[in-house]
Amino acid sequence: MSAILPPSQRIWWKQPLDRVELTWILIAFLWALILFFMMPYWHVFGKQNLSNEAYRISAESFQKMAQEMADKYTVRTETDQQIPVVHPPSGSDVYLIARLWAWWPILELENGQSYRLHLSAMDYQHGFSLQPSNINLQLVPGYEMVVTVAPNKSGSYSVVCNEYCGIGHSTMVGRLYVVDKK
Amino acid sequence: MAEQANAAREPSSEEAEERIPIMQHVLENPFLLLFFGVAIPTVFYIIWGIMEIVTIPVAK
Repeated sequence: MSAILPPSQRIWWKQPLDRVELTWILIAFLWALILFFMMPYWHVFGKQNLSNEAYRISAESFQKMAQEMADKYTVRTETDQQIPVVHPPSGSDVYLIARLWAWWPILELENGQSYRLHLSAMDYQHGFSLQPSNINLQLVPGYEMVVTVAPNKSGSYSVVCNEYCGIGHSTMVGRLYVVDKK
Repeated sequence: MAEQANAAREPSSEEAEERIPIMQHVLENPFLLLFFGVAIPTVFYIIWGIMEIVTIPVAK
């Protein structure tokens, strides 16, 4: 197939490249490389786009596991909604539910211990954002995301929903406590 | 156009000098380019993505 207007030389492939065109190509290629390598760089040094585990799970099963954990390890309740504060044993599987429009339960973890944190959404897509540590994960119904967390600073953390999930999205802020091991 | 073609042609046998490089063939073929432009992103993003999603294991 030939071009609409044929080139002045039939074999143009070997024609030497003009310097301006070469410069343009190199600058564009360099920028493309920078953008590409920003992805693994930000994964490692920005600690974003986590390599979490993912499993298929039904909302009912996940809710059941979260409820079992809460039934065993609730220490008190907080807020007007009477959300249980759960203090699970270190090294265990802990569960956090995202649903319209709250995080349930409030987890109380120990400084210096490690936990397998299971996260899932019950209804729509939510964003788990632990602040100020800036740990971010997207949560999708039908899947649980598992990350191994090891708190290293005690205090009170916010769990913010950073994926728009409806009219109450801006109110979807929960809590997570890290306490020193007694 | 005949004059352009004549000027570009080698004085010796044209058939031997007319081997067009493969990359030139590829870049001159708009429908081949269209095919790659659609097929390559489809394979690497959509197909690979769907493969990853369907192989997510079930929670124990």
